[in-house]
Amino acid sequence: MTDGIKRRDFLKVIGAGGAGATMLGCSTERVEKLLPYVIPDEEITPGVATWYTSVCGECPSGCGVWVRTREGRVVKVEGNPDHPISGGTLCSRGYSSVQGLYNPDRLSSPMLRGADGFSPIGWEEAEELLAQRLRESGNHIFLGGRMGPSLTNLVDDFLSVVGGVRREYEGLSEAPLREATRIAFGRNRLPTFDFAQARLVFSFGADFLETWLSPVEYHRGFAQMAGVDEHGSKGRMVFLAPRLSLTGQNADEWVPLKAGSEAVVALAMAHVIVREGGDAGPYYQRLLEGYDPRSAEEASGVPAEEIEKLAMRFLEEKPSLAVGPGVAGHHRNATAANLAVHILNSVAENVGRTVRLREVDQGAPALPYGELASALSAMAGAGVVMVHGTNPAYSLPSGAGFAEAFASAGFRVSFASAMDETAELADLVLPDRHPLEAWGDSNPRPGLYALQQPAMRPVADFDSKQLGDVLISVSLRLGEELGVGTFFDHLRNRWRRIQAIAAPGQGFDEFWREALRKGVVGLPVRATEVPVPLRSPDAILNFDVPALDGDGEFALVVYPSPRFGDGKHANRPWLQELPDPVSKMAWHSWVEVHPRAADRLEVQNGDLVRVRSPHGLVEVPVWRYPGIREDTVALAMGGGHRSYGRFAQGMGVNAMDLLPAEVEQPSGALVHLATRVSLEPTGDRRRLATIEGSSDQHNRPIAPAVALSALGHGGAGHEEEGHGELKEIQGLGGFAPVPTEGRAEDFPLEGSRYGQYDPEANPRWAMVIDLDKCTGCGICVTACQSENNVPWVGEEQVTMGRDMHWIRMERYFERVDASRAGPLDVRFLPMICQHCGNAPCEPVCPVYAAYHTPEGLNAQVYNRCVGTRYCANNCPYKVRVFNWFGFSDVPQPMNWAFNPDVTVRSSGVMEKCSFCVHRIRVVQNRARVEGQRPVRDGEVVPACQQSCPAEAIVFGDIRDPHSRVAQLTQNERGYRVLDELINTQPAVTYLKKVTFHEVESGEH
Amino acid sequence: MKKPWQFVAVSGIVAFATLAFAQSQEGESPPSAPAVTTVHPIAFPHNTHAGEFKIDCQYCHFSAERSVDAGVPPVSSCMGCHIIIRGRNKPEEVQKLRDYWDRGEPIPWVRIYKVADHVKFPHMRHVAKDAGALECQECHGQVEEIEVIEEVEQPLRMGWCVQCHRDNDASIDCTVCHY
Repeated sequence: MTDGIKRRDFLKVIGAGGAGATMLGCSTERVEKLLPYVIPDEEITPGVATWYTSVCGECPSGCGVWVRTREGRVVKVEGNPDHPISGGTLCSRGYSSVQGLYNPDRLSSPMLRGADGFSPIGWEEAEELLAQRLRESGNHIFLGGRMGPSLTNLVDDFLSVVGGVRREYEGLSEAPLREATRIAFGRNRLPTFDFAQARLVFSFGADFLETWLSPVEYHRGFAQMAGVDEHGSKGRMVFLAPRLSLTGQNADEWVPLKAGSEAVVALAMAHVIVREGGDAGPYYQRLLEGYDPRSAEEASGVPAEEIEKLAMRFLEEKPSLAVGPGVAGHHRNATAANLAVHILNSVAENVGRTVRLREVDQGAPALPYGELASALSAMAGAGVVMVHGTNPAYSLPSGAGFAEAFASAGFRVSFASAMDETAELADLVLPDRHPLEAWGDSNPRPGLYALQQPAMRPVADFDSKQLGDVLISVSLRLGEELGVGTFFDHLRNRWRRIQAIAAPGQGFDEFWREALRKGVVGLPVRATEVPVPLRSPDAILNFDVPALDGDGEFALVVYPSPRFGDGKHANRPWLQELPDPVSKMAWHSWVEVHPRAADRLEVQNGDLVRVRSPHGLVEVPVWRYPGIREDTVALAMGGGHRSYGRFAQGMGVNAMDLLPAEVEQPSGALVHLATRVSLEPTGDRRRLATIEGSSDQHNRPIAPAVALSALGHGGAGHEEEGHGELKEIQGLGGFAPVPTEGRAEDFPLEGSRYGQYDPEANPRWAMVIDLDKCTGCGICVTACQSENNVPWVGEEQVTMGRDMHWIRMERYFERVDASRAGPLDVRFLPMICQHCGNAPCEPVCPVYAAYHTPEGLNAQVYNRCVGTRYCANNCPYKVRVFNWFGFSDVPQPMNWAFNPDVTVRSSGVMEKCSFCVHRIRVVQNRARVEGQRPVRDGEVVPACQQSCPAEAIVFGDIRDPHSRVAQLTQNERGYRVLDELINTQPAVTYLKKVTFHEVESGEH
Repeated sequence: MKKPWQFVAVSGIVAFATLAFAQSQEGESPPSAPAVTTVHPIAFPHNTHAGEFKIDCQYCHFSAERSVDAGVPPVSSCMGCHIIIRGRNKPEEVQKLRDYWDRGEPIPWVRIYKVADHVKFPHMRHVAKDAGALECQECHGQVEEIEVIEEVEQPLRMGWCVQCHRDNDASIDCTVCHY
């Protein structure tokens, strides 16, 4: 290295330069401008958040949201507590919608394909071009995802004017359930399920905590059922599926039946119940005679005695509820499987109690994949094909031939707001508005309406236009009238009809304002409270275990990702970095293989394998997962985008590549459980981007449990005992060393004077987390990230263990046995900063950046922190995270999503959970200004508590004996993690999970 | 052996050192108001408005009692009076205001008071009558006597904040301001 830079010279230069820069940096003053409003917006007070109600546009569930804006820009969304579906919370996908709004890969203008790729054009020109193409030809096709009722209506008006048909396609279709409901009860719509009322739930693979139907609502209901109440009573769930999803991991028992055998097991149970006197009607009575437990054992691998026992419990532990199978279980007989579950519910008299069927019909039902297939074949003769809100070029198996069919159309238009795989194939891309900046409405179920209102002006970086307004403008160019000037007018016209039913006496403007303020309008609807009898089917269904393609060793389960759904949300870095609740992996894909099967293949975690089906091949690392049958492997949807922006492109593999393009009859849903695969190690391996330290507690009481039978006996039977009173004072050496023998009980030290909790005049903030309610879903992680400006770091940095989440969702496998039906025990523990009263991080900080506040918080002062990382080394809970490389420097305009109440930390600074201290200050300031009143219990709500659909988290002042948190701390299930070992005096009390099986002491 | 990169680097160091020296010289004198008066887009006289006419501070800085931000008056607030009043002393400055209004533009005031990003200063907690009940002048000086607003009397340094918190028995815990 003679010509290059010598290391010593380089360091000299860098050292001097760095010093110079530092000195300059301290004293250079930049002139800043202070720009006032010209005319103030009456809704905006600078420095005070303004909230708007709206509707979450991330999936068709239709959760109501509250959008938090500051100075006219959206900074966060939260659930609308008045909305019966969201009930005050959202899922991770919902919380990430601000990253869809500010996504840097959104298109900045309409794009037109030329000879050498896309180039930007103006809206005038683009609309004129679309109008011209529509005029020149006919037989247009509009392929849309699920839209609000008013937009759907406008699209239909438009298509009747220009001559075309609308086809609906959602990647995650529940068509088999809808079709089964039609066959069984004559209602062509989805039923709703009352989990909260049930005492025993059988889920035949329905992932109702993550993706199935209405996950936020069912999550809440499930937690109410499954959490132990004050009478020591608790409902239970049995999960019957070949693979444990997050929902499965929350079950109390697992019946690992063979993939596709749900129908025979459900029918065999119904057979037993009918034998015991249940009523199935003459047709089904005859049908059930052919499905006894003995024959079901053969098909499913579940012992006949087990099926008998389960059936008797389903009959006796009333009210019970059976659900499923969901998208992952959509096999060639999926409608029959859903019908079998309906039969089971019906003979156990659950219909009308926990299974609700609504009376009112609501528009045309969603057209499932079968309709798409006919649309695909019609594309060759179509004039203009328009695609909106769906991405079939990605989410359909390549065998469906979407690209070829799309190419055969006369002219192709995409309304995608970012360049996705379908938009890449289009001639013209007209970027749509994000739901947070556009008008719309939703009607998630009969009688329930909500308005989607823009919470801010459209993001200026992206010249977008709402679909409705584009269609109105284009029809005007064609010389046609749709009767309205803007989509907003159309929406108001439609809502006049709703007003006529909901509030006939009220003026429309008053009704409209009220609807916007509350965020939801309810119409009277009759829900069936009485049993609906089963009808004889009008179609011949096959209940048998379906055949799978190929002769590979493993059945392949392809399931909707809890983070990305069918892939629509893959362009959000928060979701990419959110560890998958099951595997704890981020960014890339993995294939789940049972450890014994992996041993046979001689593969370890991270070994790359080729997963080969008759339809395709993907190469993906192995994750050894005890929660899957030995003869089954599983892949998540949502990875492997070939386009769709910097955060999605090239992350993982697309599981749809392995599937055939086949349609289940009669529902017309895409078949997901369709094929067998073989696994072939490539010999290569990679490091997994996982946050999992261990799935085993190594005999430490981190997440202990207590058996239900042991509750109420004064603590006997708990796995571990012996926590003392929470000491209120923390202490440490202060500025001078203090002599001590170093025993745990010597702390806090006498005479310590730095950073003490002050019992005189202050609250002591504390938290209780109920592990019997916590489902490990990870919604709080995303909500915390949004609230506290927590950065994401990317796949490579996660691989190095530098992820920066303030909440780490620990998951421990205590009892997971895929070989036979039996009790299941998976423990979850959200690990956050414990705000220790005697915190190990505090005395080791050389600059007092980590210290204890008079309110009992373990604080981190960012401007003091010099980044020694001693505190992280000394933290027994590993909750401190370090910003290595300016991870807060996010691409424009994502910085707009920053919460202005929380400092954006720079690189070189340690950070961790602050107990949402900014929210505490907001409440304290408000209480002070409002006549110096005291802060009320429950007034301070940290972001994690706000987001938890299970309501597992309670926060408050532990010194107030009447506060909820103080009372819950006294609960016999309460314990503090590692406290008895190291005397950290945490402010977080966990309540032990309650199990139905006995917990052995060695089973921590 | 020529090392051009070293030459560049060394000149860089010299430049830095010179600047650093100049800075440190300046730093030796106690912090004081900058010698050069800030040039605002409009020569707004605080003394005329707050002093002579005794307009309450919060008439213009409208959110000080209820928000963390005191609020910069919108152009429409200025025009509330100046649509009639053309200005006795300097009508040309009022004309500038009217021009901004006619063009629908915000006035790009030069920011004088600013705390660092990692500091939270809630105005209402200091100003509201149930909270600190402080006069604006406690921190911002005798604004009613100053023609061109400058950072007066004291720079906004932490020691100064803490001293006041100590004197008034307010919390001096770090997380009162830093989070």
